[in-house]
Amino acid sequence: MNKIKWTILTSAILFSICSAFATRPHALQSGLYWYNGTEYLAAGQMGVNYVCETSSNTCTYSYSDGVYTPYQTAATYTYLGVTTPSKPEPTTNKK
Amino acid sequence: MSKKQVTLECVCALLILLFLYASISKFLDFKTFIDQMNNQPLPNSWTPFLVWAIPLLEIAISIALLFEYTRLFGLYASLITMVIFTIYTGIILLHFFPYIPCSCGGVITHLTWSQHLLLNLIYTALSVLGIILQHRKHFKPILITTKHSLV
Repeated sequence: MNKIKWTILTSAILFSICSAFATRPHALQSGLYWYNGTEYLAAGQMGVNYVCETSSNTCTYSYSDGVYTPYQTAATYTYLGVTTPSKPEPTTNKK
Repeated sequence: MSKKQVTLECVCALLILLFLYASISKFLDFKTFIDQMNNQPLPNSWTPFLVWAIPLLEIAISIALLFEYTRLFGLYASLITMVIFTIYTGIILLHFFPYIPCSCGGVITHLTWSQHLLLNLIYTALSVLGIILQHRKHFKPILITTKHSLV
């Protein structure tokens, strides 16, 4: 009984530690962009510079080999300016 | 090991998975977590306390859920925490605050507030299920004793 119990609990502990390291923010959120209707701009940091609010749009895009791929869908990019003094610097339009 | 005991262990494992993952994610990117806390619609003077209290509470709940003697306490603490998070999520979704902050915490950041509410409700239900199963487990020997004394 104890063996099964500790197998389940140890798996949960290991899985949570590994998942936390695997989904570290810098690995997930680097190089994300948002589309303002005319061009793609650097999104900044989730939770610090922007949030994604529920909608039918695409909140952020990832960029690779000249192609912007939807990253977080079903949400709208909403800029947050509470702690950051200025909006993230726009990058050149890579489209 | 009975089916109910396995279910209880799985419920505790899922709660540990959530709390431990959320706390480690916060510590792995602590600076961002401080910024994210400052963006929450709470007084910024609370941030120095909350940035330590929340992840440490999550770790304490995870440890309490591991051991038999502290498990019931851990399950109640988990339920209270999830209820507080659910109420906070509900308040945000009802637009009580001037803006919608991020739903921060590792990969949870990528959930919208509606999805976050659903996750909180599921975990609140899991905490309730865990409490019920743990109570039944504790009361079982008493019932057997009563039955035997009647016979």
